Amino acid sequence: MAALVLPAGLLVVMLLVAPMALLARISLNRFSPTELMVEATTAENYWRAVQDPYYQQVLGTTLGVALGCTVLALALGFPAAYWLARMESRWKSLATILVLFPLLVGNVVRSAGWMALLGNEGAINAALMGAGITGGPLPLLYNGGAVVVGIVAVVLPYMILTLAAVIEGIPRQAEEAAANLGGRPMTVFRRVVLPLALPGVVAGSVLVFILCMNAYATPVLLGGPQFKMMAPAVYDQFVRGNNWPFGAALAFILLAVTLVLTVVGSTLLGRRYRAA
Amino acid sequence: MTTTRRAALTGSAAALASLTAGLPGLARAQSKQVVVGTWGGDYGELLRQNIDQPLVVPQGIEVLQDIAVADPRKTKLLAERQARRGTYDIACLSDTDMHMVAAQNVFEPLEMGKLKRGSAILPALAKPYAVPHIYSALVLLYNPSKVTTPPTGFADMWDPKYRGRVGFSDILYSTNTFSAAMAGGGSFSDYEPAKKKLMEMRSLDARIYPSNEALAGALKSEEVWLTPMWLARGFMWQKAGIPVKHVVPKEGAYAIVFEAAIPKNSRNKDNAYTYLDAMLQPSAQAAFADRMGYLPTVKDAPLPAAIAQQISLSEAEQERLRAPDYDYLLKSHSEILDFWNKQFKA
Repeated sequence: MAALVLPAGLLVVMLLVAPMALLARISLNRFSPTELMVEATTAENYWRAVQDPYYQQVLGTTLGVALGCTVLALALGFPAAYWLARMESRWKSLATILVLFPLLVGNVVRSAGWMALLGNEGAINAALMGAGITGGPLPLLYNGGAVVVGIVAVVLPYMILTLAAVIEGIPRQAEEAAANLGGRPMTVFRRVVLPLALPGVVAGSVLVFILCMNAYATPVLLGGPQFKMMAPAVYDQFVRGNNWPFGAALAFILLAVTLVLTVVGSTLLGRRYRAA
Repeated sequence: MTTTRRAALTGSAAALASLTAGLPGLARAQSKQVVVGTWGGDYGELLRQNIDQPLVVPQGIEVLQDIAVADPRKTKLLAERQARRGTYDIACLSDTDMHMVAAQNVFEPLEMGKLKRGSAILPALAKPYAVPHIYSALVLLYNPSKVTTPPTGFADMWDPKYRGRVGFSDILYSTNTFSAAMAGGGSFSDYEPAKKKLMEMRSLDARIYPSNEALAGALKSEEVWLTPMWLARGFMWQKAGIPVKHVVPKEGAYAIVFEAAIPKNSRNKDNAYTYLDAMLQPSAQAAFADRMGYLPTVKDAPLPAAIAQQISLSEAEQERLRAPDYDYLLKSHSEILDFWNKQFKA
């Protein structure tokens, strides 16, 4: 039976573990503008990244955007997921496909659409100015708000589908029993549905949080040149700065922060779930 | 999409061909190929129309374009430099990028004996590791209806009456830093004064756009009135109805040369030389001048008078142009990028 894992396992070792090990080695090297990198075993790249206020700020922005988007996706996704899960009509599979629909378009193409909508000469500004509501274009694009909107639109389907799968497993009788015992809808939701749906909340949030932490195309295209998140910063070091050691160190810092927060977050939520 | 039986057969034949591609002397020996790492857009299209199709394909060589902006292709060249077999047979890059990559020993020193058109190259543009393909000059573009007194140099961008009207293309960070250095009394080998000038420009509400195309949009909507840019871009934008004129800054500026080189680990070196020769053909050179406004790099390319008038530089203007200090840029590149990202843009 163990042999069944072999093909996938080999693939992961070849395509993920080996390159990561190489990247870890590179992160300990020293950058040289003339020789690209010099073999070394130094932690200075990590030290520099941790100390530099610029990268602290970039990490802070990334965390803020990721947490904000996760909370927003949860708040928007839960009602939709509940509705989808409790749907009994023959349109259910169509509704599921509709939820999936945004994923059929790539991130870059989707961002291009947002740009056409939010730009200075975009549809929204044209409509506002055409109606005489605003005199000049509102700065809708190239800021954090545009990035959050763009990312939430990307991650929402993941959240909805993960939640819906779990909510479907909650017996409707549990809700009916609670209501029968005098629970108001909000109480039923808070004391019955939410605790039972918590594994879905944890799974959906973890999935979405990881996607947000590593977002690349959306922050680059909608955030503009002055808005920086970690993934674009890593790319910048590798590709524009040719500083592979520092880029590798940044990548591992992003990985570590994401991993720690994911583990801590899901453990805390999991404990609440057991307590409930 | 429906898959016809013929398409499926072609597909499996292609799969077979790619399987055998690794076996020397089998499939590859029969097909002559050259892989060109290039920008897409107009540049890639003009290569296809004026070099690949009319000049290279008739010689029985199949041309494959590997399209990306410069940075990822640079990274690929550097990452593959130890490999026995590289992706590219031809690498197209700007002179500064080319020098940076060449410093890592990536390129084959050109054998002039194999380059039939070698003697036609303008001597000032010749390099041991790359052929010049097209060139243009760094200029200051301005909107003549808004900037009514024509500017004379980079320093005019700091005039407070243009607050919020100076735009920069983010990808030209090094060039923008150069313009600030020159405005602040720096030189080709000293960008230090740029730091103070850029911070002043920041407090003058300079606008930064993610790409040249986004900047073009801002010039068109007259959101931006002044920007440092290549003359050839200005020519293209003017043709597209964007209201810009240009001046070669009095402080001095550099020429930008787009070059092509053969990586040491190219698998089709002979075909690559054929390709370089084609790039230097007068007809191909004239086409790039006509469509994109870049100047020919060979002595014998005919230029229609109307275009020559728009994109050529007077002697006085040419005197203000020099080659960048490549070694300085190689050493200072990461510092320039860091300052641009962390201080100016932050």
